[in-house]
Amino acid sequence: MTVRWILRRARRQAVSQRRALWIAAGSFLVLALVSGVTVLGLRATRGWIGTVGQGVHVIAFLRDEMEPDQATQLTDLLRRRPGVASVRLVEPAEALVRLRDAARLSPAAGSWLNDLEPGYFPRSIEVALAASADLPQRAAELSRRLRGVAGVAGVDAMTDGVARLGAWVRFGQRLGWAVVLAAGIAALSFLVGTVLRGREARRRQAKVLVILGETAASIRLPGNIALAAAGLLGALAAMLVLRLAWPALLTTVEGALGIAPTPVGFFLASWESAVGLLAAPMLGWVLGYVSTPVSGWGDA
Amino acid sequence: MCFSFKITPVIWLEGVSYLRAGSPALADVTLGVSFGEMVVVHGLTGSGKSSLLAVAAGARAPDSGAVWIAEHNIVGLQASSLPYVRRNIGYLPSEPLLIPDETVLENIMLALAVRGEPIDSAEADARETLAMVADSAWENRLARSLSTGQQRLVALARALVGPPSLVVVDEPAAGMGGDDREGIVRALVWARERGCAVLCATSDPGFSQMLVDAGGRRVHLESGRIAGAPSIGLVPAPVHFAGQSEREIAESSQAIRSSARRSSGEESS
Repeated sequence: MTVRWILRRARRQAVSQRRALWIAAGSFLVLALVSGVTVLGLRATRGWIGTVGQGVHVIAFLRDEMEPDQATQLTDLLRRRPGVASVRLVEPAEALVRLRDAARLSPAAGSWLNDLEPGYFPRSIEVALAASADLPQRAAELSRRLRGVAGVAGVDAMTDGVARLGAWVRFGQRLGWAVVLAAGIAALSFLVGTVLRGREARRRQAKVLVILGETAASIRLPGNIALAAAGLLGALAAMLVLRLAWPALLTTVEGALGIAPTPVGFFLASWESAVGLLAAPMLGWVLGYVSTPVSGWGDA
Repeated sequence: MCFSFKITPVIWLEGVSYLRAGSPALADVTLGVSFGEMVVVHGLTGSGKSSLLAVAAGARAPDSGAVWIAEHNIVGLQASSLPYVRRNIGYLPSEPLLIPDETVLENIMLALAVRGEPIDSAEADARETLAMVADSAWENRLARSLSTGQQRLVALARALVGPPSLVVVDEPAAGMGGDDREGIVRALVWARERGCAVLCATSDPGFSQMLVDAGGRRVHLESGRIAGAPSIGLVPAPVHFAGQSEREIAESSQAIRSSARRSSGEESS
């Protein structure tokens, strides 16, 4: 069969089996949506934790009288403590830059930030603890000890705020994974079921074409092309829906959680979109292949 | 120039045996059909006609024996090579297999599609064959909307379109009335006159006689064996075509077709 004939067969199959192909395209849309929301959701929640907590569990604010050498010594001491993942000495200038970066994301940020100077900020030590089930208790214990150190003006045990948010976000992520997995399996099962329901019709068609002398590859090609096109259509539609709906959805969720909005333009990377637009037609092609049973002598 | 087409078989079945569900359906059958020849295999139900035709069409592999088509014993061919043999055979199996969701015209055109014919000429050829075998008004009807008899006629048109060098038809007139039977005979004669080798099976003595009257050679099949002398027709042994190149066979075929066209032109004038 020539290319023109194969394309003609694919077009005619698409018309005669349009209902099944629309359902397949819908299943591809759901699958692509689930995948896209998973990627974007994970990235957004990781960003929330980073924005709010910056992965810090305890912050010790140092008095101005404390010499830089003493601050460095204290930092080294903390670093050697068991259960401490990382320790960082934050200079006042860096603290001001961070505040300005965080405030820039908030619509409520005013020009007053420009008037601030590094001298307004104390030097601080940020401590991140290794993850474990008793992290809040260990953070509280470290805070208590740091409060007793000379030269420490105050201690912020982040366990009540950031750590709790982090725990909720992680819980949300796990829940999200479960939902994503269930939705993915449901969409995939629906897609496979739809394709396999047409298997009998395709088997009969294949039988006719085998008798006429068509090769197995050419018998499968029109079905492969039709399902790959359904996959591409579903993936493109999902990409469009995500592009239009995701920013609004993210803004709504962030507003409800009171988190600074994620920068505008936050979307899938070009390579991620390309992977989605390639993976869906490829899956369609494979489904087209397995759903068209063709054999040699015995089936003719 | 002397062509040897009179002794050139399109197909040569040599000592073919075939088991169906463990019982012998064909036992040591030897049969040849030449270009421009029509062979009618007549036998009762269960005598092995359908098995013989399925083996001849390359749709079933015999358990022993050889099936020579254009110098190749297709029994020894790899499965992936068989389609290239089958596409040169117009085969109507006992069940008229059509694609139910396709139109009548598209079903007929498919036979030309696998041979790589251009779409436009395939459409014209399919229309012409449909008009000859059945009713051209059916062309846009879906195959599933036809009765079994109508489906059989469409499947016959699909087997004849082209026409291919070998036409193998199993019970083409089953359940058909007088006019349809005459139409089928005319169609098979049309194919034969174009140089095709025609192998037709029937259990209907009346239809068998109509084909013989139209110039067919009848062989009787009984319990999987050809009754009487081995039916080799115009072909004494496969050596006659085994020694010929594909080009020579093609030239012989072309000569027969030209000769048939000339004689049909003379008749019409």
